[in-house]
Amino acid sequence: MFETRSVRGRILLQVVVTLLAIPYLYPLVVAVQGSLSGAGWGNYRAVFAVGTIPTFFYNSILIAAGTIAIVYVCTMLAAFGFSKLRVRGKEVYFWMLLVALTLPEVVLLAPLFVTTLKLGLYDTRTAVILPLAALQLPFTVLLARRFVDGVPTELFEAARVDGANTARAFWHVVLPLTRPIAAAIVVLTLINAWNSYLLPLLFLQDPAKQTVTLLPQYFVSQYTNDQTKVLAAAVIAAIPAIVAYLCLQRLFERGLSAGALR
Amino acid sequence: MGTGHRLRTQPSGLPWILPAFVLVVGLIYYSVGYTGYISTLEWDGLSPEPRGVGLGNYDALLHDPVFWASIRHTVVFFVVTFAVQTALGFTLAALLHSRVRFPTVYKVIIFVPVVIAPATMAPVFRQLFAADGQFNSLLEAVGLGALAQPWLAQSGTALPVIMAIVVWQWTGVTFVLYYAAMSQVDPEVLEAARMDGAGNVRTLVSIVWPAVRGTTGALATLSVIGALKTFDVPWLVTIGGPNHATDFLGTQIYRESIPEADVGYGAALSVMLLVLAIGGALLVGIRGLRRER
Repeated sequence: MFETRSVRGRILLQVVVTLLAIPYLYPLVVAVQGSLSGAGWGNYRAVFAVGTIPTFFYNSILIAAGTIAIVYVCTMLAAFGFSKLRVRGKEVYFWMLLVALTLPEVVLLAPLFVTTLKLGLYDTRTAVILPLAALQLPFTVLLARRFVDGVPTELFEAARVDGANTARAFWHVVLPLTRPIAAAIVVLTLINAWNSYLLPLLFLQDPAKQTVTLLPQYFVSQYTNDQTKVLAAAVIAAIPAIVAYLCLQRLFERGLSAGALR
Repeated sequence: MGTGHRLRTQPSGLPWILPAFVLVVGLIYYSVGYTGYISTLEWDGLSPEPRGVGLGNYDALLHDPVFWASIRHTVVFFVVTFAVQTALGFTLAALLHSRVRFPTVYKVIIFVPVVIAPATMAPVFRQLFAADGQFNSLLEAVGLGALAQPWLAQSGTALPVIMAIVVWQWTGVTFVLYYAAMSQVDPEVLEAARMDGAGNVRTLVSIVWPAVRGTTGALATLSVIGALKTFDVPWLVTIGGPNHATDFLGTQIYRESIPEADVGYGAALSVMLLVLAIGGALLVGIRGLRRER
């Protein structure tokens, strides 16, 4: 976009980009530096020695996997139904989903709290997974429906002439063709579930069930005066997300910006 | 005739949309209805005998300076974060569409904050902006020691810091979207502008900026929704303080409902937030429809 004819121009461009990018890196450098000050790597050893870190990760993995499974299955079924099948009053149902699109999760706080207590779901992972999935669905259904809308209807009819029923058309036509949007949906749901804070904070009291996002807070209460351990815990919590992003850059960038793409 | 026949043989899609529909309507609509009911109560969330107060909570809310402060913060937050993110995202996208060395490294650096949970970074930012934190040390190191101050402990500086953290977190999305949009700009149009003697800035303002208008609109919508949803960063970094200077509807609802155990009042605040969010939803819907036509 910027045309640079001279060497000086190009150097200037490089300097400007670097200066703009440094603030994005700076907090991460501070985190790593802070976590290594004082006892150095000993901070990490101390944090691991508490022994709860694998539990926090295990819980986050379970919650993310559960949410992704529910969101993927419900989204794909619904996208096919809305896009290619006959449903009386279809657009009314669709709008009912869309209205929930912008719903801030904090609005659900009191009723979910009371209801989970009544149903005996308080302090269970289910109490986190179900609302996470419900909050994700309006958006993923919208995305997937738009994608399936773009698949020519003739493909399904061809499948049906071949003697396949609707379910087989779904399995053999829809699922393979929607892989690109499914990947975006999985990544988006993964990040939202992995990074969710309010719902685990609200529903998970037992440290044996808590998630990675609650890890720094947990260590704040463990070592009130030792900021270095807390920062070490924060770095540990951040690493898997960063590694996953570095491995799947394109997918992450597409998935996380899918919201505004269409 | 052909379409009529097709419609009749097309199987019903109801069972297909049902799982998603039941989950969303069952959980969200149920909760919203329940919130509406709770908002007419004076209740701590546990006692078996809540007291009905009609619209009392709403009356109290309209006279609550913290509620109006939260609304004000949300508006300021939206305007500032949207403007700054747009400017940064657009500029960075344009720069990285130019002949810069190691573009991927810059892209990764700008996008990494998007994937890290705000909850994970909160202790880092609390430390960074503390009175004896690294940011003040940095200011001293570059000779701006006079500006060093307890950033998070003062009403005047806490909100700007919260906004800076959110901008740090979300510029990556803005950047990626502008970057993609700019790839669609016809190189021949750019070339023609250059031939007519338009400089870099002129080209950006008159050709590129109008060409990515769709992206800017989508980002504005996302920012409105994001501003209304704000909770994690102000709650974890400043707990809405000092003196409610960083309170948003989200943090206020959480404080009233859980630590203060004034669930009825929290629910009334939730209903207000919901009304604002549905306004946002309609905006998104209308935008979407207009684009489909």
